[in-house]
Amino acid sequence: MHETEVNDLSDDADYAASMQQGSSSFARSDSGRRSSSGETDGAEIVYLKDNVTIHPTQFASERIRGRLKLIKQGTALFMTWIPYKGQNSNARLTEKDKNLYTIRAVPFSDIKSIRRHNPTIGWQYIIVVLTSGLAFPPLYFYNGGVREFLATVKQHSFLVRSAEDANVFVVNDFQDPLQRTLSSLELPRAVSVLNSPSTSVTSNETPASGNQEKTDGSAFDSISSGVRQNGRQRQKTNDPARDLSIQVLEKFSLVTRFARETTSQLFREAHMDGYVANERRKQDQSLVDYPQIPASNDSPKVPDEVPVVSDSLEKTSHRNENRDEEAATNVGVFELVNCKELDKLSLVWGKPRQPPLGPEEWATFLDSEGRVMDEKALKKRIFYGGVEHSLRKELWPCLLEYHAYDSTYAEREYLVSVKKLEYETLKNQWQSISPAQARKFTKFRERKGLIEKDVVRTDRSLPFYDGDDNPNVNLLHDILLTYSFYNFDLGYCQGMSDLLSPILFVMKDESESFWCFVSLMDRLGPNFNRDQNGMHSQLFALSKLVEILDSPLHNYFNQNDCLNYFFCFRWILIQFKRQVRLFLELEYEKTMRLWEVLWTHYLSEHLHLYVCVAILKRYRSKIMGEQMDFDTLLKFINELSGHIDLDAILRDAEALCLCAGENGAACIPPGTPPSLPVEEASMYPQQDDDIL
Amino acid sequence: MSYAYLFKYIIIGDTGVGKSCLLLQFTDKRFQPVHDLTIGVEFGARMITIDNKPIKLQIWDTAGQESFRSITRSYYRGAAGALLVYDITRRETFNHLASWLEDARQHANANMTIMLIGNKCDLSHRRAVSTEEGEQFAKENGLIFMECSAKTAQNVEEAFISTASTIYRKIQDGVFDVSNESYGIKVGYGGIPGPSGGRDGAAAQGGGCCS
Repeated sequence: MHETEVNDLSDDADYAASMQQGSSSFARSDSGRRSSSGETDGAEIVYLKDNVTIHPTQFASERIRGRLKLIKQGTALFMTWIPYKGQNSNARLTEKDKNLYTIRAVPFSDIKSIRRHNPTIGWQYIIVVLTSGLAFPPLYFYNGGVREFLATVKQHSFLVRSAEDANVFVVNDFQDPLQRTLSSLELPRAVSVLNSPSTSVTSNETPASGNQEKTDGSAFDSISSGVRQNGRQRQKTNDPARDLSIQVLEKFSLVTRFARETTSQLFREAHMDGYVANERRKQDQSLVDYPQIPASNDSPKVPDEVPVVSDSLEKTSHRNENRDEEAATNVGVFELVNCKELDKLSLVWGKPRQPPLGPEEWATFLDSEGRVMDEKALKKRIFYGGVEHSLRKELWPCLLEYHAYDSTYAEREYLVSVKKLEYETLKNQWQSISPAQARKFTKFRERKGLIEKDVVRTDRSLPFYDGDDNPNVNLLHDILLTYSFYNFDLGYCQGMSDLLSPILFVMKDESESFWCFVSLMDRLGPNFNRDQNGMHSQLFALSKLVEILDSPLHNYFNQNDCLNYFFCFRWILIQFKRQVRLFLELEYEKTMRLWEVLWTHYLSEHLHLYVCVAILKRYRSKIMGEQMDFDTLLKFINELSGHIDLDAILRDAEALCLCAGENGAACIPPGTPPSLPVEEASMYPQQDDDIL
Repeated sequence: MSYAYLFKYIIIGDTGVGKSCLLLQFTDKRFQPVHDLTIGVEFGARMITIDNKPIKLQIWDTAGQESFRSITRSYYRGAAGALLVYDITRRETFNHLASWLEDARQHANANMTIMLIGNKCDLSHRRAVSTEEGEQFAKENGLIFMECSAKTAQNVEEAFISTASTIYRKIQDGVFDVSNESYGIKVGYGGIPGPSGGRDGAAAQGGGCCS
């Protein structure tokens, strides 16, 4: 059942992000190096291998061949892998795919370790793991040369074979200041690496190494037992440098997963290629190898316990076990990262928040006819900074996909005029209902009554909506009633006015506001369904996310009968609208900022769920420390208004989203809002409309 | 703040009948015609005294729309008292009472004290439900009944306090096992009679009346 998910791993946006992260950190450390060494030598290629190949999917036909190089510049060593141009073995692999996998000059200071695989049948391959915790997909050496590759690395950089696993080579480049900091942190171990190769050198990957002295107080040591003794750990996590190391470790739990899943993917490929059972067994063993990394206490025993699996069903379950085991480790690490650390960590690994996108910069995204040239870059920019208020009127329709990004000025203008007429037609449907007709039209009367009651209870303390007979309140009413005719099955539900209000405030124009609202409802409609299926699937996904990202908190909620997550209901239904309240004007601004960030769907369509996790994590120790029951928790969360710093929470959410990676995405059922529904037809099942 | 007992209340009823306004009038002694509509649930709390015992009322104000019922149902659990509110100027809010009551009976504990409130009695010129009808419904269903106005504060205090008195009497009669919090009652440590200071304390009144 995990097949698709695993296969899609390498196409994952997170994965792409990691590549970008890799290259951006390259720029950083490169400049750092230059400034420290003052060298500007030309680059020298010290190793070159052709036909080094990436297998992005389980299909043998889909392979990307390329050239692997080691380049020396000054004292620094870099690795590159560039796919060959114009060699499309398969139409499904586009140039974009190739770009995704390209490894552009990664300095060895960014590389944590290299794992070598020597299958008896098939090609040798390596998995390169970055210090950031992310791993490149396996690089297959079609023409051999792994040994030579490793020898060259060793010649030019610090490379040591792990004592625990002869196939793991730990890279340690002390040139880099960050690396130096990390190395000094784990000094006892670093010393042992240098002095005695028999002790664990893969310590960063093996937090629970049994021979570690308890006296050194190393963060790694504690992390291994974080699940069991997190109370003891907490006091140790205030040192920023240690936080950094925890970050690396935290990422490492991800690495093992990455590596394992690429391996299990390989297994399937071998299976499909019709390899003999022997090969399968081998692959299974290598699968089992991985859990040793986090659980090294048992590592000597594990290989003996490997069953010779001959049934594919068993294999699947086996893989799932590994997955669970790893998830547990992952959770243990996360447990250590309380809110304060997360803040710092996300500053480290998340990109700093940027000022909002202004008009001049916005112009650079457009071609002469007004098309957005690079949609992804624009979304990314907005994700990290939002937009200036004056631009919202222009950009929100794009973010909500009412206007297409690649539409021209003229096309947008045309659409606006067409849609205006369409809106008038829709509005006329209810405007033409006479009082006599209305008397016989209960549903209409009820809806109209409900909307009338609610628009006067929506953001009325804002100048835009305050006072008697405010025309904007009437616009809210007309748009909502028109929407309830446009989408008669869904109708009107409380919460919609809260979502419409900022849109009207930004768009001003009635018809434009309506169509933006329609687009937003395409995403969020199921939240307002009679059976609230959209809300329930999000609350369910949220519980799953907390389970993988903070299992102690999950367990706490479980024990206290709080797993329905109803206390997050309002956050999700009105998209945190009343949660970011500080001062009223500011609240509105922050709401708009948060919404446009969420609407980019840049890291995830479901970033809002990670925002929930981030907020919960921020208050986790209070929640658990005060033994809050369901009632108290609900009260506590309701009263959080005004105490949340938006930027910090967004950074946390981003970091959590990156960490959860594809495991996080797997927590979220297909069609969960704001994802578009899986089946358009069954979106709003006909319902008894006795609105109260 | 110390209390002898804490009672959990829930306010239910159709949207727009004035649930949030009743709560605000009771906790803050003010009427706010312009306020945000309730999404999910809101809270209020106030100290009262009954039989010289400080009692804290923790009041949950729920969203009224039908769509939210699946969520609001979860708030019934562990409520000692419920205020079931309708709007005397809107007949349909009275007609829906049976369905609300059914929900309450199904999801709350059997000994929950339910007070039926006909709100907006200041708008008698627009009255659509007579006082007698309200009384009749309450009688048939074993509820306490009162007409109130959140706007003028008429009977608001009384409604909350007489509900508390009934719960208190049930405690005295041994109806509840007060150590079991699922009845919506918590035994406090205070138990010191008299006003206990602060806004809440000042607002507290002698209770036990108005039944």
